[in-house]
Amino acid sequence: MTFRTRLLVVFTLAVVASVGMVEWLVTRATREAFERVERQRADVLAAQFQREFDRRGREIVRAVEDIAQSDAAVNVAISSDYSAFYNEASAMARAHGLGLLELVGGDGAIISSAEWPVRFGYVEDWLASPSGWKPGTAFLRREELPDGFTLALVAVETVNAGGRQLYVVGGQQLDQDFLATLVLPAGMRVLLYRNLEPQFAPHLLAGSADAAADAQEFQPLIEQVIRERRPRVATLGSGAAGETVHALPLAGIENNLLAVLLISSSRRELVELENSLGRNGAWVAAGAIFTGILMAAWATARVTRPVRRLAESAGQVAAGNWSATVEVTSRDEVGQLAQAFNRMTHELVEQRQRLVQTERVAAWRELARRLAHELKNPLFPLQITVENMQRARESHPAEFDEVFREGSRTLLAELANLKQIIARFSDFAKMPAPEMQPVNLNALVAETMRLFEAQFAQARVTARAELAPALPTVSADPEQIARALRNLVLNAIDAMPEGGALRVRTMPQGSGARLEISDSGKGLSQEECERLFTPYYTTKTHGTGLGLAIVQSVVADHHGRVSVESQPGKGTTFRIDLGDR
Amino acid sequence: MSPHQAQLLWGRMASYAAIGNRRACRLPIGTQLTKLPHKQPAPKIRGSRLPFWLRLCLTSEQRRASPSPLTVATCIFLIWSLLPASAATRPRYGGTLRVEIQASIETADPPQLGPGMADLAPAFAITRWEAGRRAAYVADENAPGGRPFLDAVEVELARPPRDQAIDLDVGKADLIEIPPSEARRQPAGRRTWVSQPVRVLLLLFGARVDDPRAREALALAVDRTAIFNVLLQRQGEISGALLPQWLSGYAFVFNAASDTAKARELAAAIPASARSFSIGVEDAALRPIAERIALNAHDAGLAVAVAPQAGAADVRLLEVRIATADPARALAAIAATLGLAPPPPADSPDALYNAERGLLEGFRVVPLFHLADVYGVAARVKGAPGISPLGEWRFENLWLESGRP
Repeated sequence: MTFRTRLLVVFTLAVVASVGMVEWLVTRATREAFERVERQRADVLAAQFQREFDRRGREIVRAVEDIAQSDAAVNVAISSDYSAFYNEASAMARAHGLGLLELVGGDGAIISSAEWPVRFGYVEDWLASPSGWKPGTAFLRREELPDGFTLALVAVETVNAGGRQLYVVGGQQLDQDFLATLVLPAGMRVLLYRNLEPQFAPHLLAGSADAAADAQEFQPLIEQVIRERRPRVATLGSGAAGETVHALPLAGIENNLLAVLLISSSRRELVELENSLGRNGAWVAAGAIFTGILMAAWATARVTRPVRRLAESAGQVAAGNWSATVEVTSRDEVGQLAQAFNRMTHELVEQRQRLVQTERVAAWRELARRLAHELKNPLFPLQITVENMQRARESHPAEFDEVFREGSRTLLAELANLKQIIARFSDFAKMPAPEMQPVNLNALVAETMRLFEAQFAQARVTARAELAPALPTVSADPEQIARALRNLVLNAIDAMPEGGALRVRTMPQGSGARLEISDSGKGLSQEECERLFTPYYTTKTHGTGLGLAIVQSVVADHHGRVSVESQPGKGTTFRIDLGDR
Repeated sequence: MSPHQAQLLWGRMASYAAIGNRRACRLPIGTQLTKLPHKQPAPKIRGSRLPFWLRLCLTSEQRRASPSPLTVATCIFLIWSLLPASAATRPRYGGTLRVEIQASIETADPPQLGPGMADLAPAFAITRWEAGRRAAYVADENAPGGRPFLDAVEVELARPPRDQAIDLDVGKADLIEIPPSEARRQPAGRRTWVSQPVRVLLLLFGARVDDPRAREALALAVDRTAIFNVLLQRQGEISGALLPQWLSGYAFVFNAASDTAKARELAAAIPASARSFSIGVEDAALRPIAERIALNAHDAGLAVAVAPQAGAADVRLLEVRIATADPARALAAIAATLGLAPPPPADSPDALYNAERGLLEGFRVVPLFHLADVYGVAARVKGAPGISPLGEWRFENLWLESGRP
């Protein structure tokens, strides 16, 4: 991963994290605000329920008082035969808008019951209880009806006439109708669980269209409130179907928990708001991320452009272009780095020039030394021969001819040797430009091996050619390549004075070909390997030290590469790669 | 002489006084003076040796046997005391008697049997019949007992009791039915005609309630006294017998008291599934009684619910009408109506008692009350009571004060 990519990823992650953080903060703030509003609405609804509860209670108290003060009630109270009045309560209840009404004698026996007419004669013990009820106050009570128990808001008044007492017990059921009178904000509903049975019963949940499903949902909360007898808030369901439910216990006059009021607020609005925020946030985040990526890309490009130029310049320097420089466009750290780079390359160029001069001087010295050495060897016999010929002329004239002949031969031989040395230097100096043409290295190798067959035999060298059958042709000067190959073969023969094995291999290398020459000679040290291609360097007692320099020159002219691999005692392998660009 | 017999005699004497004034009144020996149900064969009049006026005062049963001196003396006293009164009120011809009843008779033809409209024949002939709504009858000029004083009788059907009472108050009706629960609420001075307790209210268990303990538990759980005092407003009689006391004379022997404790014991001894059943009632006026019975049953540990469909209920609250003054025939008719085995023929009170006791064994049938027919009568309706002791309509001797002189 490039520095620019890494920088881009970091910038992008930073943008995404920032947008995500903002989104989370907005969502959290929205939820808290919504829940605060929802709590306020629930409190308002609870207060409304309490007001409605109180209002209904006052209405019931008023109706019961009206009944108690009516002549009809007095007539019932003073009657000696209650049996004629068993239907009286129904008419009274209808006239005063009460759902429940019982006329109860002083002994607690029901005289007339509107809600359960045939229950006359049964005794209402709780009326005689001193702590049971207070006149003028409505309270919750569990009332028995023909089809089961119900929860009612009731009030009691007494009629005292003619020394007899009559209880008037009137009320209203707290049921669906009662809840329907509450004005509910959108998204809210009120349910009432009437705690009329020892175990939870779904049918006792009023105010729900789908009581069975709701009962199952509310059951744990209701049971918890009944158990703990204190308000609870819970979130039921999930997603848009979820509800926040405030559960309030409602107690009767004996502090018995008779009902649980459930004020439910739908979370649909919140969820939809959150979804909307999420969608909008996603769009904004996508836009922000896209913009951030663009800006990050621009900033990254701006930041990394000088660095990239530095890298490119460093690459050029590495490739040999020592004059590569970087444009300095800023004064920041990157600018300072560019200046330092330019200084460094400038110094490198200067050092290289100095080195080249030094090497050139060293090369000339080496050349002079080698030339002196090479020329000194034949000059010495020439000098000796000439001196012998002079001594023979002066001291032994009779033998002068013989000495002259001998001396002439020697002189000619040494002169030929000098000529050969000069020719070699001349060849190295006159290395021509290669004339490229398609060359089959296998054919070239085979021909070279045939030329050296006699020398192989004389040097007791076992030569072997391993030629790749599908070797591609390479573009090369066959004469120069053959010359390089011959130099390497001669080097190999020289490396095996006691004989040995020579192997020449060809093989495909990338889009080009490789030529490999291996010998089983004494091998080279690491230092020798490093200096091997230096002109005039040789490890042999004879030779000019130009063979491998010529090989390297030829291969370089062909844009190829030559390398050597050797270990002392394990032979040497030269590799020439051609045509692989 | 029992009060029932006295009332019977009073009606017969009043009829006699009126009959004496009706045109073309011919009374051949053997003429049936007391209307009998159509299916009931006419009794043989063996008392033709008795004086005519005395035969009018006696029931058919009394005519079969020789009346006691006390009976004869009572008859003479009643005739003597009623003659001046009837003489003071001269019958008038004409007018239409407007009758309202609660029953809704939906048959294609007017009823030919049973009390009520079927009793109008042969003195009145049907002229219009609207099933479930109204019926109109006109006096038959050639009626066997002579032409009735009334020109016509109009009967309005399916009239609720409350509307009947209003119609009577405002003068739109001359004769209305009064349910037992309203009998004691009648305005002061309102005339009522009351028959003998001729309707037996009872519980009939279906085959599904096969455990006699469950049936007995329910029978013992019913608090007849509370129902009688409140729901029936003390109209009729509490009874544990099928035949009313006035008819059999031994009805009081059958237990009619509730015993909730024993009922609870019995209920506890039976499986839970057998403790639950439904009670059905066809007549809406009887539904409060059924609900009270269900409440009593609940106190005894039984789960009894009032079924909306009476036919499918496990127990039915029924009203069976006694259509004859012959107790043996009445018992047989009740048994036949309830689908019970026919009782053995009874020619003595002991045999009759044993027969009835046999019917009640096993608590398949639980008699509760005997109820009378009660009618409210407008002030302009004159003449003898328009109903017989068995609740039969006897309108041929009635006249209206506003009728033609």
